[in-house]
Amino acid sequence: MAAGRSTAELERFLAERADHLLRTAVLLAGNREAGEDLLQTAVERLLRRWGRIDGDPEGYVRRTLCNLAIDGYRRAGRWRQKERLLRTELRQPQDATGDVDLRDALVRLLVQLPARQRAVLVLRYWEQLTDAEAAAVLGCSEGTVKSSGSRGLARLRELADGWTDTAAMSGRNGKRS
Amino acid sequence: MSTDVEDLLREGMERFTADLRAPAGLTCQIVRRRRRRRLALRSLTGAGMALSAGAVALAVVVVPSPPHGGIDLTADVVKHVNSALTAADPGDIAQMSVTTSSASPYGGEATTTTAEEWSYGDQWRSVTYSSPGHPLYDEGYTASASSPVYTLVNYSTRTWTKRPGLGRPAAAIPFSTLPASRGCRPAIGAFPLLYKFGLPGIGLPASTLPSTVARSLRTAVACGTLTIAGRQSIDGIETIKLTSRPGSFISETIWVSPSTYLPVRVVARSASGAPAVQQTANITWLPPTAQNLAKLTVPIPAGFRKVSLSAVAAPTFRQISPALLPRPRAFCLMPAVNACGNPPLPVGGPPLGSGYR
Repeated sequence: MAAGRSTAELERFLAERADHLLRTAVLLAGNREAGEDLLQTAVERLLRRWGRIDGDPEGYVRRTLCNLAIDGYRRAGRWRQKERLLRTELRQPQDATGDVDLRDALVRLLVQLPARQRAVLVLRYWEQLTDAEAAAVLGCSEGTVKSSGSRGLARLRELADGWTDTAAMSGRNGKRS
Repeated sequence: MSTDVEDLLREGMERFTADLRAPAGLTCQIVRRRRRRRLALRSLTGAGMALSAGAVALAVVVVPSPPHGGIDLTADVVKHVNSALTAADPGDIAQMSVTTSSASPYGGEATTTTAEEWSYGDQWRSVTYSSPGHPLYDEGYTASASSPVYTLVNYSTRTWTKRPGLGRPAAAIPFSTLPASRGCRPAIGAFPLLYKFGLPGIGLPASTLPSTVARSLRTAVACGTLTIAGRQSIDGIETIKLTSRPGSFISETIWVSPSTYLPVRVVARSASGAPAVQQTANITWLPPTAQNLAKLTVPIPAGFRKVSLSAVAAPTFRQISPALLPRPRAFCLMPAVNACGNPPLPVGGPPLGSGYR
């Protein structure tokens, strides 16, 4: 019966936390499909170790999600294809009048950051972890988290500036025509 | 600017993912995905093994004596079946429809009993029918936090009972005496319903939970007595047919799906020299959705009376005429097993339906 209880606990955990973890996974992966894929892989690993995990299973899944994302989760295959597709989408925004919300744009631009920087930003600004907590999840020093976060934000700023310039240009062009 | 970007990023993350909901049945999806991936991996590494399986299997049909390579192929298919069953336990609910046909060696009419069975993890349910659509017994174990709960409904006496723990009546036919060398047991010894002659609990030791169908089949295929006997279409699926090798004490045939390697049908026949008894189990593998999980619960029909376990089972014992009790050796499927020469069985009889038609 022990296995049954464990399964029930797992189901309960997933029922309570899967939505949030999916959101984390999607932010790390860049889109829903890749995020679901990432979460499934992480939960699959959780399943394998379910009976042996001490402490917070959510922490384990979060750490696995980040590691998978950083280690270049399916980078050679589907991921790169999707990344290219995303970039295409970003280069050709559907709303050419520049009326695209910068908040959405920033999240979409996350995908262009190196995986570790992306993971740091997701942990800091979505999971609301401190630098120390993020460092523990990523298995690196606090200094690395700080520098990665800083570089990530700087890069986002550049990308955002480019985005707003392009959007403004598109807007102007739109008005002209 | 930095703070602006941070705030915007935070809000953007919230908004970007606001409508995301994890798909229902995530665990089931993962289990299926693992199975699919394993199978895909095997297909790749096996370099067309599945295709050659079909070709060689057909060759086995044409040529009665398989080539040496056939043995390896069988081992490979059996290994895949074993892996698929491992993944299905407890990933899927096994739903079995079992028909027992018995040509009576005592001058009586041949009888047929039908039953349905579901198993999933530690949950198990079995419904035995006296005739199509008319249940006779409905029994099962429901998993609970502390211990399993056994429920038995007797439709002929309109009574029911429920009690915690392993409360199933004792096995009347000592199937536990089936040989189990190196953890190997034929499917017939592991299926609670196979050769279940009408009394609740027959075929199962009272002290153990019923094995899941997946586990039972896995034990059976591990015996190493199966060999590929070709391909055959079962309900539109071009299945791989595995049969027990000549000389096995029980003749068993298992049809497995070539895409999932899960068994879809099992037929067990008594060995030569014993009365003709055949059991056919059609197996469906169901995802553990709420609707399917509900099938594991024994419903108590309205108006039925709650009684003790012995009161539910006792009327059944009395309805079976002693004249119909089989001689022990007659039902023995394994002449070589010492249990077959034991004193007459305490209870037993023809398949369930015969007493109620």
